[in-house]
Amino acid sequence: MTRQAFMARLREGLRGLPPQTVADIVADYEAHFVDGEAAGRTEAEVAAALGDPDRLAREIRAESTVNRWREERSPSSAAAAVFAVLGLGAIDILILLPILMGVASAIIGLFVAAIVCFFAGAFVFAAGPFMDPPGGPATALLGGLGVMAGSTSAGAVLTIVSIGLMNALVWYGRLHYRLLKPALEPQA
Amino acid sequence: MAQQGGTNRVPEAIEIQLKKGALELCVLALLHQCDNYAYEIASRLADAIGMGEGTIYPLMRRLQSDGLVETYLVESPAGPPRKYYRLSEAGKKSFNSQSAAWKSFSGAVNDILGGAQ
Repeated sequence: MTRQAFMARLREGLRGLPPQTVADIVADYEAHFVDGEAAGRTEAEVAAALGDPDRLAREIRAESTVNRWREERSPSSAAAAVFAVLGLGAIDILILLPILMGVASAIIGLFVAAIVCFFAGAFVFAAGPFMDPPGGPATALLGGLGVMAGSTSAGAVLTIVSIGLMNALVWYGRLHYRLLKPALEPQA
Repeated sequence: MAQQGGTNRVPEAIEIQLKKGALELCVLALLHQCDNYAYEIASRLADAIGMGEGTIYPLMRRLQSDGLVETYLVESPAGPPRKYYRLSEAGKKSFNSQSAAWKSFSGAVNDILGGAQ
């Protein structure tokens, strides 16, 4: 592979990362080619020793999305990290995807339930006292408050659980990370 | 996708983990001897550990973002200025603790391996 072909595939694989990050990474590999040629190696030899640019790009991308997930715990960074880790081919996607979708939809369902309960509690709290409830207005007020508090804490626990699940997935992906596989090995 | 043989899956994961841990330690060790640039580090370690030279760059980026190494530019006869890496204070500490851990661990494993023969 020529230097140009290598760099083009690397850039292609890194598309979507912040431009500054891509520029830094590309500069590193360009410098590697310059140093390699200064040491008397051909472009093809240097490219072969560097390894598969697609795989390198996937690994860099996975590392950088996982870092973003560590810095900002948001649903979009979680999704990006999940797909990048899956993209490594470290986890068998056919086995994992149904499980992952099941778990994700269960968590989303529970979140929705918590939010609905919260509003139901708010309704009991606000409207209940005027609807002549059994036990008097005070019961409706306290009951509504109780349901709201309960659903808020359920939401908080769910958040902690989903962060924990994400971290477990990232850990598992890293365990099987093929960062150091000999670079010339055929693609899985 | 990555359908691997069931029997070599676990040893492969262990080997990768071993190399990953060792590679970071080796890079810190090289930089502990003297500041260096990535091409030199990559070509020295690629043969020794059997890894693609390209994988050194993701590792250097991680070490840098973890604050273990710092970079500076030096004029180069070969072309544009070269990016040199040096250990930060945190990197020196990390090297000392990691190399002590490595020595005691590998010593223990070697003792057991020696006893088994």
